[in-house]
Amino acid sequence: MLRFVVREAARTGLSLLGAALLAAAISALAAPHAGDGTWSFLVAWGRTLDAFVHLDFGRSSISGGAALDELGAHLPLTLGLVAEGFAVALIVGIPVGFLFGAGPARRAAAPLIQIVSAAPIFCAGLALAYVAANLLHWPVPLDNGITSGLVLLPRTVRAFEIALLPVLTVGLAGAAAAQLALRRGGAAGTAQPWRTQLHRMGLPVWEIETVYGVPRILGGLLSGLGEVMLALLSAAAVAEWVFNYAGAADLFVKSVALHDWAIVAPILLSFAGLTLVADFIGRCAARPLADPGVRQ
Amino acid sequence: MTRASVSLRPSTRSLHAILRVVGWIGLGLIAVAVSLSDFLASAPADATGIGPLLAAPSAALRFGSDMLGRDMLSETLHGLSATVRAALPATLVTLVAGALFGFVAARLPRPLAEALRGIGGILASLPALLLAVLFIGLTARGWAGVAAGLSAAPFAFVRAFERAREQERATHSEYARATGISAATLLRRDLVYEFSDSILSSAARALAAVSIVLSTVSFLGFGAVPPHRDLGLMIAASKLYFLHAWWTAAFPALALTVLILFARLAAGLDEGERA
Repeated sequence: MLRFVVREAARTGLSLLGAALLAAAISALAAPHAGDGTWSFLVAWGRTLDAFVHLDFGRSSISGGAALDELGAHLPLTLGLVAEGFAVALIVGIPVGFLFGAGPARRAAAPLIQIVSAAPIFCAGLALAYVAANLLHWPVPLDNGITSGLVLLPRTVRAFEIALLPVLTVGLAGAAAAQLALRRGGAAGTAQPWRTQLHRMGLPVWEIETVYGVPRILGGLLSGLGEVMLALLSAAAVAEWVFNYAGAADLFVKSVALHDWAIVAPILLSFAGLTLVADFIGRCAARPLADPGVRQ
Repeated sequence: MTRASVSLRPSTRSLHAILRVVGWIGLGLIAVAVSLSDFLASAPADATGIGPLLAAPSAALRFGSDMLGRDMLSETLHGLSATVRAALPATLVTLVAGALFGFVAARLPRPLAEALRGIGGILASLPALLLAVLFIGLTARGWAGVAAGLSAAPFAFVRAFERAREQERATHSEYARATGISAATLLRRDLVYEFSDSILSSAARALAAVSIVLSTVSFLGFGAVPPHRDLGLMIAASKLYFLHAWWTAAFPALALTVLILFARLAAGLDEGERA
């Protein structure tokens, strides 16, 4: 197990280094004369890398503020959205994944799940907004300018109603990814010979499922944690855009539009870091579940 | 039948086969609608003042009209056509840069193959949507199709790479190497076997992925350029009105969902597989 963790940690570290190189290359585009030729770009890249090592991510060409300050102002909202969306993803995705991840329900549910998950996340976000505004009569912040203060821990009913829509949008995208990972784990275990052999040894089906089946299905979810994080981050970008919240994903999209590369780079690096770390944690946590020998 | 579905029970296999046929029939119908969109639509693309502003669906305007009086049925057909026409080259880019290149990269000399796998892994750790936005920002909106294809490619690359590695370790590869068959010949044979078996499935899977990315980047304002509106841009334009005129967003969203659904069904995704 230790060897596995060390190997995975090394892999994640190398990937983070690669992501930092990519981010530095993008940030170097903001340097003067970086577009003069290959050599000028390489020089700018080297200087940006050196600055990155000293945690200097440059300054926004639009606001003039330090990129790290801009990131610090916008990232908490996105992280909060992702964290609450992850909670929704687990609450919705795990029961759905377990319900449709085993037995005859899996086959019957497959086409239904394909239909439900075919809607792109921005369509789902707008559908939620429509239902909230017209059926529940909730306030929907679609066209009242940019909001920077999404209250992620609401204390009033109104604040809860406002916060719920973006969180639900992100959470549903995460739930789709989570149930996919769970069903993958369930499907992988279905054809395994140990299931029949344990049954022949006299173990009842429910015991085989709970003691041996469930850990493997949960292992499927954990090993797909990186994918769930990707879905949450993509959905956060869409939710921030649809509901006008000034999070880091929204800042990324606007900064690309304005070619403000010094801002784009640290956001890209932090998103890649989140996915890679989630993937690392998930793989390490899934290992003992997939191989009971390691657990002992 | 995909190789992964060989282990499935016969009833599940037949359900998969039926769903794949449904998917391909659906995609065929969409292809017909796209080819004949100028003929099927009662109004040309972006023709304003066809009906009253924001008129609800009726016998005269079956999908209603939008805020400029455009016929939503005609606009949805033109939008679907624009989305599919942009998605086809993007699908090709994903197939070549992802599936094909991933398979070949796995058979390159070990250090080079591992380096390429690492780069693919880093790009796959970024959301495809943000990667597409970045590619478009680095080039131009006219390159949205290529950008969508490239953003969906890293995931396809990693999957094809792992598949090729799996085949490299398979018994037939060991026998082939033992009998003196060269690495290039083995790669060519594996490529032919792999792609003749799964090219349609991979193409449908890539079509579903790039359709989502393309429509979302258009929704965010990075894709189609007005007046050539695709479904994502149509839905974005309806954002301010759809709360009291649902048809301005619902029909383009439905058309997009149907396109993605048929592409996914045609791909014959196995249990828990993502597009």
